[in-house]
Amino acid sequence: MTASADHTTHTLSCRMQPEPAALERLCQVARIRGFRIEEMQVRTDADGLAIDMVLSGQRSIDMLRRQIEKLHTVCSLRSPEQALTGIRQSA
Amino acid sequence: MNAAQHILDALQRHQIDTVFGYPGGCIMPLYDALVAEDVGVEHVLCRHEQACALAADGYARASGRTGVCIATSGPGATNLITGVANAHRDSIPMLVITGQVPSSLIGTDAFQETDVLGMTLGIVKHSYLVTEASDLPAIMEEALQLAESGRPGPVWIDIPKDILLTDIGEPTAPAPTTATPLPDPTAEIDEALAMLREANMPLLYSGGGVSLAHAESAFRRFAKASRLPNVVTLKGIGNPGYDNADQMGMLGLHGSKAANMAVDTCDLLMVVGARLDDRATGAVSTFAPNAKVIHIDTDAAEFGKLRAADLAIRGELGAILNGMADALVRQPLTIENWRQQCATWRKTQGFQAAINEDPHAPISGPEFMRQLTDIAPRDAIVACDVGQHQMWVAQYCRFDHPRNHLSSGGLGTMGFGLPAAIGAQFAFPDRPVINVTGDGSFMMNAQELATIRRHRLPIKLIIMDNQCLGMVRQQQELFYENRESQINLDDNPDFLALARAFDIPTLAIQRTDQVRRGIQTILAYDGPMLLHVSIDRSENVWPIVKPGASNRDMLDESQRPTSTTAKNKESAA
Ligand SMILES: Cc1ncc(C[n+]2csc(CCOP(=O)(O)OP(=O)(O)O)c2C)c(N)n1
Ligand SMILES: [Mg+2]
Repeated sequence: MTASADHTTHTLSCRMQPEPAALERLCQVARIRGFRIEEMQVRTDADGLAIDMVLSGQRSIDMLRRQIEKLHTVCSLRSPEQALTGIRQSA
Repeated sequence: MNAAQHILDALQRHQIDTVFGYPGGCIMPLYDALVAEDVGVEHVLCRHEQACALAADGYARASGRTGVCIATSGPGATNLITGVANAHRDSIPMLVITGQVPSSLIGTDAFQETDVLGMTLGIVKHSYLVTEASDLPAIMEEALQLAESGRPGPVWIDIPKDILLTDIGEPTAPAPTTATPLPDPTAEIDEALAMLREANMPLLYSGGGVSLAHAESAFRRFAKASRLPNVVTLKGIGNPGYDNADQMGMLGLHGSKAANMAVDTCDLLMVVGARLDDRATGAVSTFAPNAKVIHIDTDAAEFGKLRAADLAIRGELGAILNGMADALVRQPLTIENWRQQCATWRKTQGFQAAINEDPHAPISGPEFMRQLTDIAPRDAIVACDVGQHQMWVAQYCRFDHPRNHLSSGGLGTMGFGLPAAIGAQFAFPDRPVINVTGDGSFMMNAQELATIRRHRLPIKLIIMDNQCLGMVRQQQELFYENRESQINLDDNPDFLALARAFDIPTLAIQRTDQVRRGIQTILAYDGPMLLHVSIDRSENVWPIVKPGASNRDMLDESQRPTSTTAKNKESAA
């Protein structure tokens, strides 16, 4: 599924502690705050979970970022467009 | 020491002396630990888990300390959900502890297994499913710290039964937790002061965040030093205290015209500990149309969420308000004309309960609340339910402190009032606690009369009985052409007999001239007592903003549709 015309696409990279509900929390916040997850890549390494996401939505991505940052198990959150080789660049 | 005993140990170390719970299979190890003689935690058995959570909420709202509720897996946990959601929406510090099926049975559809972690993600600040017994002490510490810190909220710990039973040795002193310090707001304080000095019509707008941040006295210092005209949200009621001369009361959907006019006119809105909720702002596109906004909160996610802020200050509310107050004491604002204007609005457009001279006239909601607030002592705690009666309390009762007014704001949970009053009475055994409820709301947690009876809690219950779901009836009248649908309660049970079944004495009043004596009688009684107040079915809460409309366009009683006889008048039979 691709983002519709009035939706803007954004990329986010997130590091989370590897607790059982980590991904559910992240996906739920994105959904509730008005975003659709277009692509998602997850790796587990010594530092926990590394998640790269492409999101689309009509609302401000900054608002979503601030909501995600409130999740207790989120360690860091970035929008590193360049670092996301392999994932579609934001429109 | 097993994990269950560790839980009680941690609660005691955090000076939590009261918990509200209900036992069952998977949480039995914790109940077994409660039996020990040296346990310094009082367990209150409510009669429904929803009431356990709402009582813990009321305890926390009234006291500012973390409320704790406990339930078993499956139906126990699902019954808690409404109460936990209620705490989440109003940022109430709460610790929720549930038993879960044994680790090896998770995911097998075991008896009373539900995915508690999964189904509560959206209503918690954080949550845990404990997978290693040895993690539990650290989780307890972190959970209690999280519930209270920053923007408070409920934290849920789901614990499999086998883990509760696992021996994890003696408790060790927990590592001290260091909260990350909030940014230093000095520069923003200067900027805010400059904006205040530049404004001609600055207005102070405060919400529940003031008491959540324990910043009540800093808020009052600031309000006094700035002499800003001020409005409050439902949860901010009581922030300015009795004695603030510049208060204009609640704004919003059922706020005063005076408050909404001030917001509509002001050229600077200083928002403190509030989230600009739709019930407060009305159509946000026309909200405070002429104002620059200073937004002060601990939660950065609130800035710009619904209304852009010209200046957002994230930090400790108390430090920010004190810092600003210091500067304003040295050099006060010059806003006399604006203050006069607001004072005039308050007199002409504020809440005024019509005083009915006819002693035999039916009791009106506003007039009842006006008398209640005159007669009740200043330190009385009033726990409301949800509906018209709740709005009359918000409009006509005065509160000296925000923690004296317990009202379900974000979730609007019918059934909140009675368990919340119970929680508040446990937090303050010697203070008067009054539950103002409706005939609909009361029935949602009426089983808690048993908790009052068991503990002989001297709670005063006031049922404002209009024989209907009044708030819904009102909306049907005003916005659905008076088509009444499923709001009729004219076959209510005999509330007096119901109370008597729980050894609670009663008094019933119907006429204006009985109000004073009625209130005095129940407040003077040494023990629980129920006052049944019959009120007119057709009474509405005024003023009101139409759904989707601007706060500028409030309807008042003079705009009531002339036909007050309902179409499709249903009967309960
Ligand atoms: C649990 C729950 N269900 C439904 C509602 C919707 N609702 C809001 S007010 C109200 C009527 C409340 O009736 P009552 O307690 O008698 O109060 P009144 O408005 O008559 O004073 C209803 C049904 C709600 N807020 N909470
Ligand atoms: Mg009613």
